[in-house]
Amino acid sequence: MKPAAFDYYRPTTIGDAIEALGSSEVSKVLAGGQSLIPSMNFRLSLPELLVDIRDVDGLDKLEADPEGVTIGASVTQSRVMAYEGAADIVPGLRSALRFVGHLQIRNRGTVCGSLAHADPAAELPALAIATGATIEIRGPAGVRTVGAGDFFLGPFWTDLGHGEIVTGVHFPAQPSGGVTVVDEIARRSGDFAIAGLAAVFEIRGGAVGAARPVSFGVSGVAGRMAAAEEAIRGFDPGNDGSDLYAAAYEDAADAVDDVHANAEYRREALGALLVRAARSAVGSNGDRTGV
Amino acid sequence: MTVDIPTRINPMIRHRAGHIGRAVPRREDRSSLMGRQRYIADLKLPGMLEVAFVRSPEAHARILGIDTEPARALSGVLAVFTGADLVDVESFPQKIPYIQPVGQRPLAEDRVRYVGSPYAAVVATDRYVAEDAATLVAAHTEFDPLPTVANLDQALTGDGARLYDDWPDNYLVNFPDDKPDVMKAFDEADHTFSDTYVSQRQTGLPLECRGVLAEEVDGRLTVWSSTQSPHIVRTTIAEMIGIPEPRVRVIAPAMGGGFGTKTHIYPEDVVVPWIARKLGRPVRWLEDRFENLVSAVHARDQRHDVNVAYDDDGTIRAIRCKAYCDVGSGEIFMPGTATVFVTGGVLTGAYDFQNMEVHHFCVVTNKTPSGAYRGFGTPEGMFVMERIIDRVARLTGTDRVAIRRRMMLREDQMPYHMHSGGRIDSGSHAKSFERAVELIGPSVERARAGYADDPDVRVGVGYTNYVEPTTPTYHLTTGHWGGYDSATLRVDPDGAVRVGLGTTALGQGTETTAAQLASDALGVDPDDVTVVMGDTDRAPYGLGAWGSRSAIVMSGSILMAADRVMTKARAIAAHMLEASPDDILLTDGRFHVAGSNTPTVTWSQVATAAWVRTVDLPRGLEPGLEMTGYFEPPGLEHLPGSDGKVNAAASWSNGAHAGVVSVRVSTGEIKIEDYVVVHDCGTMINPMIIDGQVHGGVAQGIAGAMYEHFQYDPETARPRFASFMEYLYPTCSEVPAMTVEHFETPSPDQPLGVKGCGEGGTIGPAAVVAGAVSDALGDLGVEIVATPVTPSSIRQAIREWSGSEGGS
Repeated sequence: MKPAAFDYYRPTTIGDAIEALGSSEVSKVLAGGQSLIPSMNFRLSLPELLVDIRDVDGLDKLEADPEGVTIGASVTQSRVMAYEGAADIVPGLRSALRFVGHLQIRNRGTVCGSLAHADPAAELPALAIATGATIEIRGPAGVRTVGAGDFFLGPFWTDLGHGEIVTGVHFPAQPSGGVTVVDEIARRSGDFAIAGLAAVFEIRGGAVGAARPVSFGVSGVAGRMAAAEEAIRGFDPGNDGSDLYAAAYEDAADAVDDVHANAEYRREALGALLVRAARSAVGSNGDRTGV
Repeated sequence: MTVDIPTRINPMIRHRAGHIGRAVPRREDRSSLMGRQRYIADLKLPGMLEVAFVRSPEAHARILGIDTEPARALSGVLAVFTGADLVDVESFPQKIPYIQPVGQRPLAEDRVRYVGSPYAAVVATDRYVAEDAATLVAAHTEFDPLPTVANLDQALTGDGARLYDDWPDNYLVNFPDDKPDVMKAFDEADHTFSDTYVSQRQTGLPLECRGVLAEEVDGRLTVWSSTQSPHIVRTTIAEMIGIPEPRVRVIAPAMGGGFGTKTHIYPEDVVVPWIARKLGRPVRWLEDRFENLVSAVHARDQRHDVNVAYDDDGTIRAIRCKAYCDVGSGEIFMPGTATVFVTGGVLTGAYDFQNMEVHHFCVVTNKTPSGAYRGFGTPEGMFVMERIIDRVARLTGTDRVAIRRRMMLREDQMPYHMHSGGRIDSGSHAKSFERAVELIGPSVERARAGYADDPDVRVGVGYTNYVEPTTPTYHLTTGHWGGYDSATLRVDPDGAVRVGLGTTALGQGTETTAAQLASDALGVDPDDVTVVMGDTDRAPYGLGAWGSRSAIVMSGSILMAADRVMTKARAIAAHMLEASPDDILLTDGRFHVAGSNTPTVTWSQVATAAWVRTVDLPRGLEPGLEMTGYFEPPGLEHLPGSDGKVNAAASWSNGAHAGVVSVRVSTGEIKIEDYVVVHDCGTMINPMIIDGQVHGGVAQGIAGAMYEHFQYDPETARPRFASFMEYLYPTCSEVPAMTVEHFETPSPDQPLGVKGCGEGGTIGPAAVVAGAVSDALGDLGVEIVATPVTPSSIRQAIREWSGSEGGS
């Protein structure tokens, strides 16, 4: 469990970082290293060059305004969790981050790193899709932004091209009357989810007007749940949840089997999580800021 | 020559206050917590080289060729060795007569039988380069894959794939059983049922992985090995490499746990010293966690096909059990064959039940070899027994506590001879169960009330009543060693005491408890006692630390040596006091004549006479004040009698566990709400250390009940694990706070009445959690028949059992 030899570069400007990344066919960005370094130790990842972006000017930005929260690429998960300014604007951030690993992992791991890594069982990509976050990318061709819904393409696979860096992410403010729920089932506290759900509900008159539920840890990529989005309209406290459960079960048709849970389990659990979330959202009369 | 074994502290010693039985703080904690312990990973010798082993990526294959040239050509690589280079090394010994020949070579030569099997060793200037070279060796090895055997079913009934060409089948051990009384009970009983119970593959998972450092200087080999049995490692290395045993010294430095995995002697223990001799340089290998998961022994991989005969009133008439252990490839010394016999032997736990028929089978598969892990077959057995009892209770509508009360061992039955020959010398079996029931009652009510408003959550309670065989014979495990251990006590001229022990310390507080024993045994202050162990040069031959044996063997050997020291010390003191040795007492550390408190002679005066001022010794008395005791526990048997029965343990601790769980029906999420242990290990040397043993044991038991599981692909026999992403141990978030209480029923046979306490905690949780979850989901008909119990397995069970014959 020792990594193969690699070069290490720690630039201070984004231009140098992009140039360095492009200088090798097999280069990787290092931020928190909480997934990359273990995979290098197993020699599953064999980068020839690591570009450490922690000293790059301008990437440590963490800002909140009424429009939302902007998080730079070197901002750690712990910093976001502790940032009071974000708590009311995007309550889902804290809800999601409390599930991310343990304190020590969050002290090093970054929000943008988790997005770029695109683990299908991770919380932050799902939250980004559910909230409609926008990802800022810089590369040899300049700056571009991609909606989270278009960024995640598959397991550990994103829209990011060679030589490009995720430099920031913008989470839009939770709409008025909105409720964000992030919930998951994991084998142990701090583990990746064996079934997870991030959802933003719009509550109107004590019922769900519309919602965007996103599953994670269920199939190969975090994704919206088409049948559930349809079934959830009008969900109110008197609803027995069976239609919603069935819709979520349907949405999880491509659930995976692994050592922690079988596919059937994941389908059932996603259904149960969605019903639980919807009940909690309507029970909250739309004034709750996260669960 | 027969010896008198003292059973208590020498009556000539009078203490103001003894130290045995007190929660003396652990003397090794400060250095452990401050990072001042020295583990093998901390040891570096000048010019030391690092070894990386090349391990098979194939589950079953012939090795057609290995091209080591590309690896040798790498800068920083000093040597690459394959099995063919080790022709001068003997195969691992195999000393048990009734098992099939495995013929394990130090490195796999022409065939590999599990993923992780070491078949080459690379020596380089550092571990990074060594791993680069190991990758090259692997890339230049040509394998010819063979059909694989991934599990028990495939081993027994598969397409005929075999691990060993010269065996008739895949049975390493095949011990059928046939009891006419059992047959008769099945004919007569009101009902019968059959079921299959499965315990999953796990490992002991010490925090510190294994490691070996070796160097040879002037023809003398010194080996530092993270082992539970340094003397046995020395004997085996000397035998396999062919060196006179005095020219080998084995040191087990500070250790971060072993839990049974480090009782075995592994290829690395032999190959690393061999390389050190070959190259004339110190060489070290440190096991990384991936290697630990694929190449340190696994355990617990058992299946029990059970038939039970019972009557309408809930009386169990007979149990027939086919006990199968999947021992992996079988390429390990000592072989992993003994655990399943322990499972069969103690399956009845703390219950009075005799009408058993147990067939024992060990079967080889293309998986990591299995062997010892804390509990050593007992958790698997109690899981089976408690599931049987709960099932009979459910089928007959009998209360689960009442049915157990009827079956509990009673004090008037002691000593109780188990169906297997185990001789339970004493215990508080029924009393412990009653106390556990009493303690858990309010927790059940509290949990039920807490979830009363949530129809999705069910609450259940589970019980187990076990016996813990302690200080077992090693003969049935190794075919070679027995059950004794040793202590040397030396009183230095200043009166301070040095204890040398044949057992060793793995982190379980042995330094502290040994000092408590020696201080009381010689009437000195514990601060004046220094304990050394884990070094074949500094301690007498002993078998090491395993099988919950250290408490008994230390007590016996320290008392024996202390009595011998006392006899001599009293002779010296008598000479100084101009009295008869028979009249000399030792009160609060000073020798004096009985009936008179002055004058006195101190330990320092006596020891100074023995070592320094020998002119003060009585005429003709041999100088020196150092004695050794080799203690063989009374009552311990090493071979079965003609009836096949054997009391393979020197004593039998007991305990009752009870636990409350909540289960969320919709998601299968499970939480242990409360857990209680009522524990009896006889006389307690240090109650705080015993509590720690119980806490840690329960944590590992919960690991087996709910988390840890080595899974293999049924098609390829490849591991579906490589790290702690797949192999989940419970953290402090998953292990509940627990209540631990003790009874102290002294062993009538063993010195001081001690019994041993290292494994009891691990025995209960699988049975308790399975019982509690089955209870919680009883109205859905769920019977938990396999561990680990996980959200996915609970949902699976709900789907399978709902509406089945078990449901009502």
